[in-house]
Amino acid sequence: MAKTILTVDDSASVRQMVKFTLTDAGYAVIEAVDGQDALAKLANPVNLVITDLNMPNLDGIGLIRRVRAIPACKGMPIIMLTTESQEARKQEGKAAGATGWMVKPFTTQQLLAVVKKVLG
Amino acid sequence: MIDQYRQAYQEEARELLSELEAALLALDGDRTNLDVVGRAFRALHTIKGSGAMFGFDDIAGFTHHLETAFDQLRNGKLAVTADLIALALGASDQIKAMLEEAGGARPADPGRSAEILAAVRRLTDPSGSVIASPAGGNHEPQLNLEPQLNNEPQLNNEPQLNNEPQPNIEPQWEKDAPARDWRIHFRPAPDILSNGANPLRLFSELRELGALQVRVDTAEVPPLAEMDAERCYLIWELVLNTPAPREAIRDVFIFVEDDSELSIETTEFQSTAGEASSQASAQPAAARPPLAVVVRQSAAGAPAAAAHAAKSIRVSADKLDQLINVVGELVTVQARLSEASARSNDAEILEIAEVVERLTGELRNNSMSIRMLPLRSTFERFRRLVHDLGIDLKKDVELAIEGADTELDKTVIDQLNDPLVHLIRNSMDHGIETPQARRAAGKKPKATIQLAAMHSGAQVLIRVEDDGRGLDAGAVRARAVEQGLIETGARLSEAEIFALILEPGFSTAREITDVSGRGVGMDVVRRSVEALRGTLEIANRPGAGMTVTLRLPLTLAIIDGLLVRVGAAHFVLPLANSLECVELTRRDVAEGRGNHIAKVRGEIIPYIRLSEYFQMQAERREREQIMVIETEHGRYGFVVDQVLGDHQTVIKNLGKTYRNVAEVSGATILGNGTVALIIDPHRLVQNVIQAASEDQRRRTAGIHRNRGAYAQK
Repeated sequence: MAKTILTVDDSASVRQMVKFTLTDAGYAVIEAVDGQDALAKLANPVNLVITDLNMPNLDGIGLIRRVRAIPACKGMPIIMLTTESQEARKQEGKAAGATGWMVKPFTTQQLLAVVKKVLG
Repeated sequence: MIDQYRQAYQEEARELLSELEAALLALDGDRTNLDVVGRAFRALHTIKGSGAMFGFDDIAGFTHHLETAFDQLRNGKLAVTADLIALALGASDQIKAMLEEAGGARPADPGRSAEILAAVRRLTDPSGSVIASPAGGNHEPQLNLEPQLNNEPQLNNEPQLNNEPQPNIEPQWEKDAPARDWRIHFRPAPDILSNGANPLRLFSELRELGALQVRVDTAEVPPLAEMDAERCYLIWELVLNTPAPREAIRDVFIFVEDDSELSIETTEFQSTAGEASSQASAQPAAARPPLAVVVRQSAAGAPAAAAHAAKSIRVSADKLDQLINVVGELVTVQARLSEASARSNDAEILEIAEVVERLTGELRNNSMSIRMLPLRSTFERFRRLVHDLGIDLKKDVELAIEGADTELDKTVIDQLNDPLVHLIRNSMDHGIETPQARRAAGKKPKATIQLAAMHSGAQVLIRVEDDGRGLDAGAVRARAVEQGLIETGARLSEAEIFALILEPGFSTAREITDVSGRGVGMDVVRRSVEALRGTLEIANRPGAGMTVTLRLPLTLAIIDGLLVRVGAAHFVLPLANSLECVELTRRDVAEGRGNHIAKVRGEIIPYIRLSEYFQMQAERREREQIMVIETEHGRYGFVVDQVLGDHQTVIKNLGKTYRNVAEVSGATILGNGTVALIIDPHRLVQNVIQAASEDQRRRTAGIHRNRGAYAQK
């Protein structure tokens, strides 16, 4: 059965790119527009979360913390999307429990490689 | 594919710019509000981040500096000033220009970009040191998925997606290079498992590089009672035989190396002594049989059901228009089918026709609703206009928005912008006084323009209301006389006087100002609104302001109508305003004693006989039917020969010749191929009322020209 990936980003174009790329590669993709939305969508079984950091309502760091507090999501990989200027944020994200990160801008190939890396 | 993302980005960026603008203007009113600063920052951040993703490097680079400024605002290192807001608004326009350039419009002015950036730099970095551009400042090692090619940090923001075909993700090193043995010592952080990493995944990734021997050291595993099942106590000693360089191996561990103990050594580099010691330390581990490692797998195999959770998709407006056109054709054909099936008297065909009718109705409603958009973004855009005009005119004006969630057909919204801009400009320029004058008049110096929208049956009312000085009936009149629109002695009601401002070329402004009064008057507004089959009303409160109300149809394409017959002709009345249908007998008519009034449920209702109104040759039937319709002028009855039933009405425009027939808003094609006119009950009633009052007045005064049909009250 296809693994399900939740993409969390307030940028519709990034979500679209992530969704198309991963759907093409045979994953099932759910979209969420911010952290709050993502928490609601996590009611469904999800195998991997790819989240932006800067978002309204609940940002990426907050989301990662909340996700790690959900027992069923403890070992679930979480990839955060950072920008080159966010080294501090990256550390914060790792401390919150992120599995890995991707630096924007990234290509579809890089995206697939990272997903394969953490999800197989 | 890439083009598709780029287009999605351009649309998104435009929305983000509106959001940015809205935030900036809100900030202007509340300069310490960090939430609003956050909103602006996020908009900029996304414009930049996604821009870089899809190859808009000029936008990304430009926006970066602005983002820096807003980051400083967020952290309190910079204060919000009027200059900064004006600068940011200018930058927002510049980004818009760059977007349009990408969309094929004329290039954005690079000089302007440089100017804005210089000003932003002066704010963010008063000491004048050079700010590293995002392109040059990217010292963060990019995740090295392409070993070798990416050994250097990415120094430029080359549009990577445009470099197709992409460099292969496959390892770029010499595959037939001599393989070497690498000894890898890996002691992960204890919380590695709960952070979602999976050592088994790492090892299978290593296996893709070459043959791997795995030995696990369980020395650190505590007794069961002390063990935390979520922690990782294991240490691995690996031997990998691969031609890959060290960087490629390190990349496998990129997500975990920071918190883990990791060493990667080639056996060949080790001295004999070192090898001996390393062998010694490895031996005990090797002596033990490898433990089965219990690693919690991520919830693979869990049902991946809800992949359909996408909230919305973007579709080009052209496609929607095509859809609506086809649905319109379908509705017409369906009407023919219903008609033919009724004639055929075949039960099966009748049943099929009924199902088709129901489905067509649903299809019509669904496709129409796709085109409905809230007025919010149209309305919000005017904040900028009011802000900028306020500065130009030195007037303090606040824009209050109400009912921005009201939905309207996209084609209507698109054509609504210009008339609204004009009305707001008019209010700002002519209606609203300077703060001094307002104070002198005993008003609060800050003026308000209210922009409100609400539903009313199948129509939407849009109100532009200001609390300025209102219209001066005397001045309007004098000006109209001056321009030869009316005769000096003409006796006009107030409503008729205000209707004059809708005449072409009419302007009360003595001088042509920069803002309005450029020869484009309210008549243009009226024409645009009429082109949308809408109407326009002016309500005046001398000294206290004026209200212009636009009444617009919800949609331009298809309405629910009631098909009626008068003599041999068919008409359609809009169903949304129809209240009920009652019989009118000769006795009822006789009771009216020549007046066109009927008693419906105890209420006296004036009625209009369509056959008389349209001067049709029709025999008066024993029993007629009255459609009671709620109009702007109250309830009116429309007398017809027969009400045939409801009808999904595809509106076709009448040709030029009939453009001035106000009471007919269009035509539709019936199932049998004949044409039925669609009646606008409001206008019809208005014409009747006006004709009656004109009749009376014609005896006393001459009106040179009268197009007062657009004003009431």
